[in-house]
Amino acid sequence: MTDFLYPFIDAQEDDVDELLVDLSASARGKAAESAALQKSSLRELEPSIVACAIAMAERFTAGGRLYTFGNGGSSTDAATLASLFSHPAVGRPLPAWSLAADQAVVTALGNDVGFDLIFSRQVIAHSKPMDIAVAMSTSGNSDDLVTALLEAKRRGLLTIGFAGYDGGRMAELVEAAQLDHCFTIRSQSIHRIQESQARVGHRLWALTQEQMVKTRAIRPTTSGGSR
Amino acid sequence: MTAQIAPTAADLMSEELSTDLSAAALALARRFHSGATLWVLSPEWEPHAHHVAVEFVHPVIMGKRALPAFALTGADPVSEARLATRPGDVILAVAGAEDAGIREVVRRAPAWGAETIWIGFGHRPEPGAANHVLWVDSADPMVPATGRFVLMYHLLWELTHVCFEHPGLLVASTDCTDEVCITCSDEGRLGEVVLAPTEAFAPAIVRTATGEEDVDVTVIGHVSPGDLVLVHAGAALVLLEEVAR
Repeated sequence: MTDFLYPFIDAQEDDVDELLVDLSASARGKAAESAALQKSSLRELEPSIVACAIAMAERFTAGGRLYTFGNGGSSTDAATLASLFSHPAVGRPLPAWSLAADQAVVTALGNDVGFDLIFSRQVIAHSKPMDIAVAMSTSGNSDDLVTALLEAKRRGLLTIGFAGYDGGRMAELVEAAQLDHCFTIRSQSIHRIQESQARVGHRLWALTQEQMVKTRAIRPTTSGGSR
Repeated sequence: MTAQIAPTAADLMSEELSTDLSAAALALARRFHSGATLWVLSPEWEPHAHHVAVEFVHPVIMGKRALPAFALTGADPVSEARLATRPGDVILAVAGAEDAGIREVVRRAPAWGAETIWIGFGHRPEPGAANHVLWVDSADPMVPATGRFVLMYHLLWELTHVCFEHPGLLVASTDCTDEVCITCSDEGRLGEVVLAPTEAFAPAIVRTATGEEDVDVTVIGHVSPGDLVLVHAGAALVLLEEVAR
């Protein structure tokens, strides 16, 4: 390791090549961390991903819809997960939406009832008991996500959280049987957590697709929306 | 079973990709240092454009500076990017090599004075298509949803901020030998016609990397707004062919 990672030790700064060499090594090091975390996360979570995919396939087969949500970068990862389900490059499209996507709805709720309710109010408005709610977070603690997951659980939805660090409140909710599944990525880095969450989300999608093929799932064409 | 699903470190970041990424990060840091705005486009995978923008605007690490970055998600990437960019800005695209709108944006970017970074997967764009090509060498159609792009722009952000810790390197060295005399050399600068001449032999208004200028177009004859031309010593010498949109 050179002085470039400790910039103030070396006042002489004219060697661009040395910086580029250090940046490249840093990129490979971080990618290696990401690869290791993805591998260990998949290994640890595989049994619960399988169980969750079976439950999701049942819901989709019953006519259920998937709603995803998160804050900041995680809101975009939640949107990517929703479009993976709804517009997969291969496989069967399934109905899925991101609840952060509509700025009129999000700002109306944020302004009128408060930011903590931006997703739970949408769960109340949109969801049926056979639906699925997925919240993506790195801390597992965000109030708006936890509130929406609890609301969804009360309404009979299948509830799934993605978290990082030690799982935060989402991990506690699973312990208390107030959340059906929580996929916790055991890392302290928000970036590495999000990269592994994408990998786990992709695995969850792939297994859901497999399960629907295996059971030759036939989805109802009429509304199954009795409460 | 999961061993096949989880990528190896070498899968995620080859030596070549790490080199490309470093060069892109330094270029981006230098542009930000000079006042650039980063414009992000991902017509097919819009959430990635938003993720890049929020990464720079609201850093996950406390104390890192907020930088100007916007996602452009309108229906027409070319007209949006054209309107948005100022000379010195950076355009980052997350898109496949065959994305017609993005191909047109990176082709025109030199006339707008913008540097380009292109993140994608599958077969690569032709050499020189963008200033920086950060490519996932996998044909798996699921790549955009596996976190590979997320890793790429996370690392771009992280490395860009490492560059800020080396202020002495944020200004490109001045003894650069690339500079050529614009009038005496054969250099042709890319320009985009803004306004056609209003009368015979009058100049057209053409946008180039340095701004808008009057350009003589009598050699070419008829030009229309949006045409790409090569400008040399105040005259447009070549009309570049239209690329299928």
